[in-house]
This record gives sequence, structure tokens and C-alpha cells, in this order.
Amino acid sequence: MKPSRAADPYWMLLPTLLLLFVFFVFPLGKLVELSLFSWDLLTPAHYVGLANYRSLWRSGELWQTFSTTLSMSMAVVLGSMSAGLGLALLLDRPGRFAAFVRSAVFSAYIVSWVSVGLLFLWLLDADSGILAGAWRALAPGRAPHWLADPALAPWAVAAVTIWKITGYALVIFLAGLQDMPQSVLEAAQLDGASTARRFASVTWPLLRPTTLFVATTSLIASFQLFDVVRVMTQGGPVRSTTVFVYAIYEQLFLDLRVGRASAEAVVFFGILLLLTGAQFLLFRDQESG
Amino acid sequence: MIPRREFLQVSAVAGTALLGACAARAVPKGRTPVSLWFSYGGTNREVLESLVQRFNDGQTRDFVQAVYQGDYFEGLAKLRTAIAAQCAPVLSHVVGEVVPYLAEAGVLEPLADYPGLRELDLIPELGQERTWTSGGARPLCALPFNRSTPIAYLNGDLFAQAGLEAPRDWAELRAVAKRLTEPTAGGRFGFGCPINWWFWVALVGQAGGSLVAEDGRISLGDQAGVAALALWQELVRGGLMKPPPGRDYNAWEQCNQDFLSGRVAMIWSSTAFLKYLEAHASFKLIAAPLPAGSKRAVPTGGTFWIVLRSAPSAEKAAAARFLRFMHEPEQVITWATRTGYIPVTRTAVRTLEQRGYYASHPNDRVALDQLSVAEPWPWSVDLFRIQREIVQPRLESAVIEQRDASAILSEARALALEPT
Repeated sequence: MKPSRAADPYWMLLPTLLLLFVFFVFPLGKLVELSLFSWDLLTPAHYVGLANYRSLWRSGELWQTFSTTLSMSMAVVLGSMSAGLGLALLLDRPGRFAAFVRSAVFSAYIVSWVSVGLLFLWLLDADSGILAGAWRALAPGRAPHWLADPALAPWAVAAVTIWKITGYALVIFLAGLQDMPQSVLEAAQLDGASTARRFASVTWPLLRPTTLFVATTSLIASFQLFDVVRVMTQGGPVRSTTVFVYAIYEQLFLDLRVGRASAEAVVFFGILLLLTGAQFLLFRDQESG
Repeated sequence: MIPRREFLQVSAVAGTALLGACAARAVPKGRTPVSLWFSYGGTNREVLESLVQRFNDGQTRDFVQAVYQGDYFEGLAKLRTAIAAQCAPVLSHVVGEVVPYLAEAGVLEPLADYPGLRELDLIPELGQERTWTSGGARPLCALPFNRSTPIAYLNGDLFAQAGLEAPRDWAELRAVAKRLTEPTAGGRFGFGCPINWWFWVALVGQAGGSLVAEDGRISLGDQAGVAALALWQELVRGGLMKPPPGRDYNAWEQCNQDFLSGRVAMIWSSTAFLKYLEAHASFKLIAAPLPAGSKRAVPTGGTFWIVLRSAPSAEKAAAARFLRFMHEPEQVITWATRTGYIPVTRTAVRTLEQRGYYASHPNDRVALDQLSVAEPWPWSVDLFRIQREIVQPRLESAVIEQRDASAILSEARALALEPT
């Protein structure tokens, strides 16, 4: 359909563009501007150019935050996808029991992050937690301090996140499995392919778009981890769980370094933009292939 | 299923109750409003709210509206953001370390000219006068509210069983911690302390150092700072001390829970937790002064009342009247005896002594007596930044990762000197 006047589409787009400008473009521009200033909200801001970026880079904070976020995110994505896919394969069948287990696994996804954090704080308590009790029953001596040891805390937080979001991966993989043409699977079965072979040669390749979708959405979501870190570790011990969003929160709301927090947010935005771009390219290749 | 009529009736009653509750918080006509942002939960919040209620009920001129704003650091972040957004409250309370920064930023109202505030008979170590070096020479901008010192809490039952007394110096601290540690499954640590700047400052003072050298250089205690860190490292490495997980007040809370559950025999914490720990301990709780290193020393802690300069004059005057009320002996005594904080006026202390309160509550006396060795904070606008951004993260790193104490403090000193 052709518009009667050339300007009509633009008028119609105007409300959306206005909203986008007010709530996205303007704040983003302001963020970039603030990243060039040193400002504590109380005393006048002064222009420092790229000093905030240089300071983040030179102090090693940027790299440390990025590597912590990336390693925790990779663990979360791989863990939640493996668990989600495994459970989806097991639970892709009729029956009340399978339906109950599906609901039970998914229920974790709808519980609030704060509740999950508090629950696992108790479960992972190195002295009175259930896990510590089980550890002591199996091995003598004190149980590891899962949340107080910088070498263990990131993985403990990642494990909690996996537990929380596996239900999401499960539902998407189930949808992928149920959307799969049964004729192809039946043909492979008739050809005598084993269960493992059917999975490797038929199910897995056909699940590729689903896998890509789960991987990218989980990766972006895990890059935005905050609540569970705030509740369980507050970024510690020794900054070992200080992920990007928590680092920005800490800089802005606890240290009131508006410029440095803005610089960190700009870098974070760039990383998410790259991830989204990669997702877009992957899906485009998928569709064209 | 609830019948429709019944549902509507219940909703109407609930709605009316809600409106009533809202109305109760509204400022009565003709009274000057005083917005107060505070940072306490639990019992402390209840006590403060009861004192505010007492003030509001006791006169018809002013009306204080107290609003909870999270812990000290969350409250401070909100306060600074509100100041920038020009919607700050009239009255709030902030940790001592941040007062010089706020004062130098020009956001605090000078208080000396408000009737009665200059004449308050404050205990000098708890007021502006001796909390900061040369604090008395500066315009009065902060009045003490909940003031504290770190003290030691002992599990009296365990100490009695082992025939031990509170450690008087660092050597005894090591020995007592070792004696009370049980390194078995589900065992016990002899000592627990949050890896927190406040306790490190106490150790620095005990080792004979100070944060700022006599020539004004930020020294972070030099060798005393290293000795303080080394003591913690030694105790943690030896399995005698439990550094609680979590940061800021989460670690403090965890430390308290470890103590109450018997997983730690002796902790260092604030006198602020005295009443809470006494109420929840299933054993005899003994409060004791901190041990000496080369000398005895403690920092003071807690918060100060501040009035925001940006508020309307009438509201600032009303806030000053509320502050005068809060420093009357009965309010000071209520606050101190129900929370564990130190009474901030000499009259209140004398009254408590006359009533025989300290004879029957010896634990309450510990922090008060420790004021004789309290050391002032430097009046530095960078103190808060040095605490939060530079020293605190490095303390955790040094103790938990057992990094070289000397190198880590050199790094901190260099960063403290960098322009912000």
C-alpha cells in the first residue's frame, strides 16, 4: 500500500520516535556526556575528557569486571542450556508425572531473584547449610566457604543462576522438540539409527535455531545479573562476583562517581550491542541457510 | 468463593483503613513539617519511631515525618542523590566519615545559632569537638545521635568452661582464640570479626599508628597499618578467626549470627548490637573492651544528625527544635538503654549512674569507658572515598587472599594521593 502523501509514514512513526528519543536516545546521549565528566552529584561537575575510561582501564577494573561477567555468563549459559536440553529430552513425553516435573522445574524461573538469593544464602551457609551438612557427612573437617572464598563464590552464584533459569531453557527446548517433524525421526528409526545417533544426526541439527535463541537470550540475561549478586555476595569476596551491572551500581549509588559509572555503562552498552549484533548475524545466517 | 457483596464490604473496610493510615502520617494543619530520613531497621527503628511519636505528641508546633531509607550506605546514596535533585529532606543522619565531605561541599546547615544547640552538654569525644581533629574549631554542623565504639563480645559460658578472661592485649587475643578454636567438622572459631575498615582503624590505633601522619600525609598507619593487617592474616591463616562472608553490614550481621549460634566464641562488633545480642544469646554474654597492641585505642562510630541547608528556614528551625528535644536526658537515655549506643550527653550519663543503671548493666558501660582511649578522625573530605574505594576492598584482598600487607597498603596510599 502506498501512502497518499510522502510524509504520512513519518507522521505515523512520530509518536514512537518521540518515545524512543525521550526514553532511549536522550538518556544514552546524556550517559555518554556524563562519562566525560567527574561528578559526585554535590560539587560542580568538571570535564575530564576520557580520563574515566583511562582510569577504568589502567586500574584493571574494567578487565576484571568483564572477565568475571564473561566467565560467570559462560558458565550460566552452558549450564542452563545443558540442563534445559537434558531435561527437555527426558520430559518430552505425555503423562502426569512428566507434566509435574516440567512445572516444578519451570516454577524456579518465576520465583523472584531476591527470594532465590535468600534461599541459597541459607542452603550454602558453610556452617549450618544443607550442603555443608552433606559435605561433613562425606568428608571430615570444615565444609568449604562457598560464598566467602573468592575462588568458589563466582561459581556458586553461577550455579544458583543456572538453577533459576534452567526452567526457561527447558520450555524453549520442549517447544523446539515438539515442533520437530516426527516423520524425520521416524524415518531415522526405521533406518535403524540408535537413540544417540538419532540425537546427534537429527534432533540436535534440527534444534539449532532453538539452541541459538536460548544461547543468545541466556547470555544477554546473564550479562545483566544483579539481584542475586546484591543479595548473596554484594560483589565480594574481593570483587570476585562484581559483574558489570553490580559494578555500575556500586560506582554510582555507593561511591557516587557518576562519571566513572557512566563510562562503565557506556562500555557495557557497547558489549551488549556487540552481542545483539552477533545474535542478529547468527539468526540471519540461519534463515538464509 | 467469597460472595460479591462480602468482597466489596471487606474491600471498603480495607480501603478506609489504608486511607486512615495515610492520614495518620499526614502533617496536621498548622504544624511545621520536618522530613527525617533515617537508616535503621529492627529495634533501633522502633525506638526512633517511638521517640518521634513522643515529640509529635508532646507539642503542637512541629511534626516530624520519619522515613526509612535503607542501611547507612543506601541512605547516604539516596541523600546525596536527593540533594542533587533538590528534593532533600530537612533532617537526616550520616556516618561520621562523610561529615567533612558534606560540610566542605556546603550542603550542611550551621547549627550553632539555633537556640540551645550550642549549649548541649555533649560528651566531647562523641560530639564534633573531639570526633574529628580540630572539630571544635569548625562551624558546628553535626550533632551526635547514635554513637558507638567497637567492643568485644564474649560467649561467657565458653570462657568460664575454659577458665579464660577477656584478652587484654594482642598476645592474649591470639592465645584465647587458639584455646577456644575447635578445628573439627561443625567446630568453632575462637575469634570472628568483619573484615571492615572500622575494626582495622581500631587495630591501627592499637599498633600506635594513625590514618594521617602529623605532617598531614595520608599514611594509612604506615607500619602500624601493616601490623594491623598482619594480625588478621595470621589469625585467619591459623584457622583461629572467621572472616564472615558478605560485605558491609551483611558481614556484620553474619558475624553476629555466627556468635549467637556458638560457631564463634568471641567477636568484635559495635556496641550498637549490645541489646540485640543480649536479647538473642542463649548463653551468658559478656561485653569487654578491645585489647591493646602497643597501646589501647578505638575509633568512634555511628552517625550524626545533619540539617540540610537547602530546606526552608521554618523547617530548619523546626528540625533544630527536634534535635534539642532528642538531646534531652530522657530521650538520650531511652535511645541508649534500648539500643546499646552510648548516651551522648553528660547529663544522661550522670542520670543513669544515679539510677544505678550501670551497676546492673555492666555491659552498657564498656563502650562508654572506652571513650577514654577514643582517637579522633582526620577532618578530610577524602576520608569517605579512601574508606570505601581504596582501603576496604584491599583489606578483604589482604586477609582472604593472604596478599602481602605491606605491598597492598603501599598501593592504597598511592591511590589515596591520586586526584579524584
